[in-house]
Amino acid sequence: MRMYRGREGQWAFLLHRLSGLAILAYLLLHVFSIGSFIFGEEFYMVIHERYDLWPFRVGLIFVTAGVVYHAFNGLRIIIMDFTGFGVAYQRQMWYGVLLISAAAFVYAAWTLYPRIMGGY
Amino acid sequence: MIRARTFTDARAQSHTNAELNWWIFMRISGLILMFLVLGHIYMTFIQVSESDATYDAVVNKLANPAWKFYDWLILSLSLLHGANGARYSIEDYVRSRPNRAWVKGVFYTVVALVFAFGTVGLFSI
Repeated sequence: MRMYRGREGQWAFLLHRLSGLAILAYLLLHVFSIGSFIFGEEFYMVIHERYDLWPFRVGLIFVTAGVVYHAFNGLRIIIMDFTGFGVAYQRQMWYGVLLISAAAFVYAAWTLYPRIMGGY
Repeated sequence: MIRARTFTDARAQSHTNAELNWWIFMRISGLILMFLVLGHIYMTFIQVSESDATYDAVVNKLANPAWKFYDWLILSLSLLHGANGARYSIEDYVRSRPNRAWVKGVFYTVVALVFAFGTVGLFSI
């Protein structure tokens, strides 16, 4: 990756790629498990009751943070591509993206905490 | 695959029109998906619990054509965006030509099947 060699840009690129592939894997499973309602209520609920277990709910916190990272880093890429000042501020913007992602993680965890503990 | 910093670079680097169009598509679909997906996550996961997403809740929600369209827009845009992103990764990391051909073949088949399944699901009720 010639343009992204070293420092923050390289990590931004790597995290964008990893989060993108992880979101895609989640999406393929998500479409299948939600779409399984066409096989009837029983089939749908067999899959869906698993998702009430706490490890899956913890997973949703990471999915949320991953999507927020990918979305805002994508916005950073668009700004770099289409404005004159974007590349000059790419490092500062990346720290902003990390901050927003961390905030999304904390917010999702805060919302999910009683559901993880109480199981509802 | 295009590795460019600016739109001008991208246009200069793209060998084909298709490659440049995918580059543009990633930016436009990404911008639209940002609103659609973050909205979807907020409405169906932050606002309500997993245990609220019962069979009846899903069927009731999809009875509304506006939600059908919203979900189908996410489905089609995100699968195209995700498939093209994964193609960039495959082209970067699967170096041998024959391996790349079958990895892509299997991957595109899975994506097409999931898209067909999701579309049938959305519009079958």
